[in-house]
Amino acid sequence: MKYEMVAGFETHIELATNTKIFCSCTTQFGGDPNTHCCPICIGLPGTLPKLNKQVIKYAIMAGLATNCEIANISKMDRKNYCYPDLPKAYQISQYDKPLCEHGYVQLSSGKKIRLTRIHIEEDAGKLIHKRGDTYVDYNRGGVPLIEIVSEPDIRSVEEAKEYVEKLQQIMRFIGISDCKMQEGSMRCDVNISVRPEGSDKLGTRTEIKNMNSITFIGRAMEYEFQRQVDLIESGGQVEQQTLRYDDATNTTSSMRGKEDANDYRYFRDPDLVTISVTDEEIDELRKQIPELLFQKAERYVQQFGMNEKDAANISKYRRIAEFFEEASEGVKTPKNVSNFIIGQIFRRLETEDDKEKFDISITAQQLRELVKLIDDGKVKNNLAKSTLEKMLDTGKSVTEFITESDMAGMDEGMLAELCKKAVEANPKAVSDYKAGKVKALKSMVGFVMKESRGKADASAAEAKILELIG
Amino acid sequence: MVTHEDVIAIARLSKLYIPEEELDAMTKAMDDIIKFADTINNASEKGVEFDNINNLSNAFREDEVVPSYDREEILSNANDIDEGHFLVRKRV
Repeated sequence: MKYEMVAGFETHIELATNTKIFCSCTTQFGGDPNTHCCPICIGLPGTLPKLNKQVIKYAIMAGLATNCEIANISKMDRKNYCYPDLPKAYQISQYDKPLCEHGYVQLSSGKKIRLTRIHIEEDAGKLIHKRGDTYVDYNRGGVPLIEIVSEPDIRSVEEAKEYVEKLQQIMRFIGISDCKMQEGSMRCDVNISVRPEGSDKLGTRTEIKNMNSITFIGRAMEYEFQRQVDLIESGGQVEQQTLRYDDATNTTSSMRGKEDANDYRYFRDPDLVTISVTDEEIDELRKQIPELLFQKAERYVQQFGMNEKDAANISKYRRIAEFFEEASEGVKTPKNVSNFIIGQIFRRLETEDDKEKFDISITAQQLRELVKLIDDGKVKNNLAKSTLEKMLDTGKSVTEFITESDMAGMDEGMLAELCKKAVEANPKAVSDYKAGKVKALKSMVGFVMKESRGKADASAAEAKILELIG
Repeated sequence: MVTHEDVIAIARLSKLYIPEEELDAMTKAMDDIIKFADTINNASEKGVEFDNINNLSNAFREDEVVPSYDREEILSNANDIDEGHFLVRKRV
């Protein structure tokens, strides 16, 4: 029998606020253990949590960017469980009135992965198990999170990876999180089950906890899919449970049987008042959301005639997209701008992180000046490329490297002179060309270009040389 | 009606131990508490939201960092400390 994978995701994303969700301690990553703490975030009795305004704002932005409905009335609940990473023995989260509901993320195939909800909650502390004891660091305790819960709409590892990448891109683009999976600011729980192909019933699911790499998500899902299929094929039954993925052995193992929602004894947090958001406030936030990257990529294709790959490459990074748009303003050939970015500039930004930061020495205006010189026919492409390299090395403007006389181009006489020189200096190339080696002509044109320091027009030089040796 | 099993289950979730001889009294006490709380149902038909009787909303805080406490103070109530951490017995 053929089986189909059915998967849904719960994705936790740390919000890029300055302070924690219920107190004014810093959210900075790292720091000596228990130095970013106060009585509120270590859960001392008698303290009163107070909600960070920015958390609401960021969570609503996440909802708007993923096509969610935003709730006008929302509240915080206590989720009770006893484990040392929670000093209060409950996590403040949202249960039956989340801030955002009914959204979706669209994949490149056009398929929509529906989002059940996005709610806000506090992160737990970090536990280190050593020497038979547990060491507890509450620096991360109380850092604001959003949890994005998807419907079980994912049918393959490829869809899963694209879904996670899309979420990551969207959240980075609207600037609410850096979504660094390796630092734990984005973590996924994967709910996965199998069913005979064509069936519309859901099988019993297992949940793989705390995945922090897209590669591992793929491997864990493949392993778990196969494990469940083998189990059913051999007459067994899948047990609902929580699993841990071990990347060293590429296997999943049981952490615990799945708790029922009842076990958490959710109830409203009496310390925190209702969250009320007006339609006007939501509209105001909608305006603050920058044009999302896939819409932007589409616009680049239509407006600038870019190919889809280039458009995707440039629109993917917020700072690069802004740089591109600024540099293209009033330019006749935006294609030159994008080529320079993808060519010369990308070569200097090797990692994703480099591109995200986009720390380069020239401004968009400086690039625009250079491209305008090409537009006006004052500078040839080759010269522009080498000049751009020098600009990127030094941060100086184009006029530092190209003088007025360089831009004047070449008059007929000078070009003829140089072509004559090229023919005389390369007798072998001339005879090679006459013997039928077309390439030999290029070497003479190259000579002219070099001698003129890139000022000569290559096609005019070619015509002139042909005339001379014709 | 609250049963012994309910009380044991809730005690387990709360990590409490209830001795056998206290079970009867505890079960009755819990039943009484729930019955008392149930009286609220008689009123809720009138459309009052009991989880927010003051009708308060939006008590927010600005996102501005205030220096955290000294670690010594943070750890001062801990039973056991090592290397700047709270130390607890390992649990699964």
